[in-house]
Amino acid sequence: MRRFIFFLSCVLIVSGQVQYQDILRSPSESWLTYHGDYRAHRYSPLTQINSSNVAHLVPKWTYQVNGAHRLEATPIVYKGVMYVTNSNEVDAIDAQSGKSIWIYREANAQQDSVNRGVAILGNTVFFVTADAYLVALQRSTGGVLWQKKFADTKKGYFASLAPLALKDRVVVGVSGGESGMRGYVAALSASTGEELWRFYTVPAKGEPGSETWGEFDTQYGGAATWMTGTYDPDLNLVYWATGNPWPDYYGGGRRGDNLYSDSVVALDGETGKLKWYFQFTPHDTHDWDAQSIPVLADLPYGGQVRKLLLHPNRNGFLYALDRVSGQYLYAHKFVDQLDWAEGIDAKGRPIEKPNIEPIAKGRRVCPSTRGASNWMSPSFSPETKLLYVPTLEQCDNYISTEHTPEPLHNLAAGGAEGIPTEPGKFYLRALDPITGERKWQYAMTGPGTMWAGTVATAGGLVFFGDDDGQLIAVDARTGKDLWHYSMGQLLTASPITFSVRGKQYVSIASASDVFTFGLFEPEVAP
Amino acid sequence: MRIVFCLAFCVLSVAAQNKEDSELSNPYEGQTTAIEAGQKRFREGCAACHGANAEGGRGPNLAENQDLKRKSDGQLFKTIRYGIPAAGMPPSPLPDNSIWELATYVRSLSASAYELSMPGNVDRGRTVYWSKGGCGDCHAIRGQGGLIGPDLTNIGATRTAKQLTEGVLHPDQHPVEGFRGVTVILKDGGRIEGVAKNYSNYSVQVLDRQGELHLLQKGDIRQVEFQQKSLMPSNYGQTLREEELQDLLAFLSKQSVRPDLKETRASSRHSGDN
Repeated sequence: MRRFIFFLSCVLIVSGQVQYQDILRSPSESWLTYHGDYRAHRYSPLTQINSSNVAHLVPKWTYQVNGAHRLEATPIVYKGVMYVTNSNEVDAIDAQSGKSIWIYREANAQQDSVNRGVAILGNTVFFVTADAYLVALQRSTGGVLWQKKFADTKKGYFASLAPLALKDRVVVGVSGGESGMRGYVAALSASTGEELWRFYTVPAKGEPGSETWGEFDTQYGGAATWMTGTYDPDLNLVYWATGNPWPDYYGGGRRGDNLYSDSVVALDGETGKLKWYFQFTPHDTHDWDAQSIPVLADLPYGGQVRKLLLHPNRNGFLYALDRVSGQYLYAHKFVDQLDWAEGIDAKGRPIEKPNIEPIAKGRRVCPSTRGASNWMSPSFSPETKLLYVPTLEQCDNYISTEHTPEPLHNLAAGGAEGIPTEPGKFYLRALDPITGERKWQYAMTGPGTMWAGTVATAGGLVFFGDDDGQLIAVDARTGKDLWHYSMGQLLTASPITFSVRGKQYVSIASASDVFTFGLFEPEVAP
Repeated sequence: MRIVFCLAFCVLSVAAQNKEDSELSNPYEGQTTAIEAGQKRFREGCAACHGANAEGGRGPNLAENQDLKRKSDGQLFKTIRYGIPAAGMPPSPLPDNSIWELATYVRSLSASAYELSMPGNVDRGRTVYWSKGGCGDCHAIRGQGGLIGPDLTNIGATRTAKQLTEGVLHPDQHPVEGFRGVTVILKDGGRIEGVAKNYSNYSVQVLDRQGELHLLQKGDIRQVEFQQKSLMPSNYGQTLREEELQDLLAFLSKQSVRPDLKETRASSRHSGDN
């Protein structure tokens, strides 16, 4: 009888379609969105791998993506098939054996870029090419159904994000903030690619918000939308973070707050209309994109459970907003190295210190241009009620050329450089999202160059990539390290966990490979 | 006369040298006469290193070369004009028009079938595809058709005319990875037929005709039998009349998911956006 059960469990037939309701229940055995779910908790209910046995985690397989040197994708897993992207490429992999099932390469793509993953809906896998086409692929074969161009590379755009699939549509954003393009978020039909709505993150002249740019030509404002947003199905609101205003390091030509750069915008999922916005860093001159992930959590605050949007921002403050109205609630410093602002006022505006602007000879400001946190994914455990944030303590020397460069020539009007005597140091910090208190922190070793994120589990664990090329598991309540494995490569992606036929796995895309781990099982004699 | 020739050559060269790569465009693009003239010149001056059919020798293979495909006209022209001395490729003394002929020939070697005009009637070829040829039973185009054969939505844009023709007429000589016919007998007597997307001594991934994936492990399997021949009929040369075959190839050559392939040249790379 036992053998019979074993046998049944070993044959996996991959059929069925990914319904919107399936995504609402994700993550479970599958991992169906870039963030695992729509709220960006990156919290898995799986418990087979837990704090009592994680020490027995062993490598199960490694899959090399041909030609890859910097994988930034979060894998998507559905019924035992994993989908991973590289530049202009999707690889479908048997998630239990690590064997390739199909590879789609867009040989005619005009550009190359990093890519952060696919979206999945129905029988279709979606990804973006570097030259900003949304590509729809048949899930089991990789056959192409259609491609739709959603941005023009001649205007400085490219694309790198994992699309966000919801109901009958796929939401995308654009990269290229250093070129002087004009950012936007767009929803395309999941069946045809037809554009359903578009929201520009830099208002056209005469539109509300355009007055915050002075005399600047807002055809070239930047405010790219290069990371996957989050979604509240009950409110039908899409939350999208926006990038820096252009030019990055010189603000003299764009006097004002430069809306909606460095903001989060809440857009009606049906129409794309702006419901509210909140700007974290007005008139940014330090390249502090707001591209950290907007995490949606319902938590008690002020005597009632509030629908919150949590945002560990690149500028060094952890913000909480009411995600229904956009009302600013509070902000807490989550790094020690922060000297550009005294704090955040009652309306959510930073109280800036004098002399923080980049200058020609360079000026030391903290945090660094890479930010206190960046696009590496945080996670939120509803069990511990903690937010786990990869955090960088570093300052930079900010330089400005002090002139407005020509648009579309990829100039940032300056830059930032590390200070040799003050190397950056990464921490994984467990933050109380209400009080901002650091419950624990894990100090990483390494050169301060990683881009890896986290995943939390109901097994009482947080997995994260560290600054030394290692995947690490720590106790979610205490931060005690329980397991680690060295990939020997710079980590530039976030881990996930999933289950196939009753066995839980943990995967992370590394520089050139996907590594997958599971619990040690002794070989069973045939 | 020699002085006049040299002068003309120098003037033309300086004119080309002074232009940005993106400003140079091939005046003979796709022209059959230029391809033929370029081929003649290639065999005279380039074949010693690149091979008579440009398939490589001391120098790299220039036929069906994806890197070369992505070079702009200007980049291609200047590579021929100035050579790559560090790699042992000398500059060319030829006048500009001859270099453009060479570039036209070299470009034609890696040009997709979509970019060239293949003879035949596309509409009639569509009918052959979906009826007499039976191609659609196994091959999908834009989601329509069978799933067990390679998807053909983009086949015209990703294959040369030669590859396309060979693939239709001689499929056994050009096996496509991931489409080998397989029958798996399970330990319980069950039977799965389809194509092996992958296989090893420890696992087999099978796609059946219904488009379902079967992810099997060693412990499930009693026997795996691979077909020796391609699942695709190898007798289209006999079952289709000559004009039907040409029509079918013309139809396939026009299968491109992107309408304007010229945009693919002169690529760039973004290191990231953070």
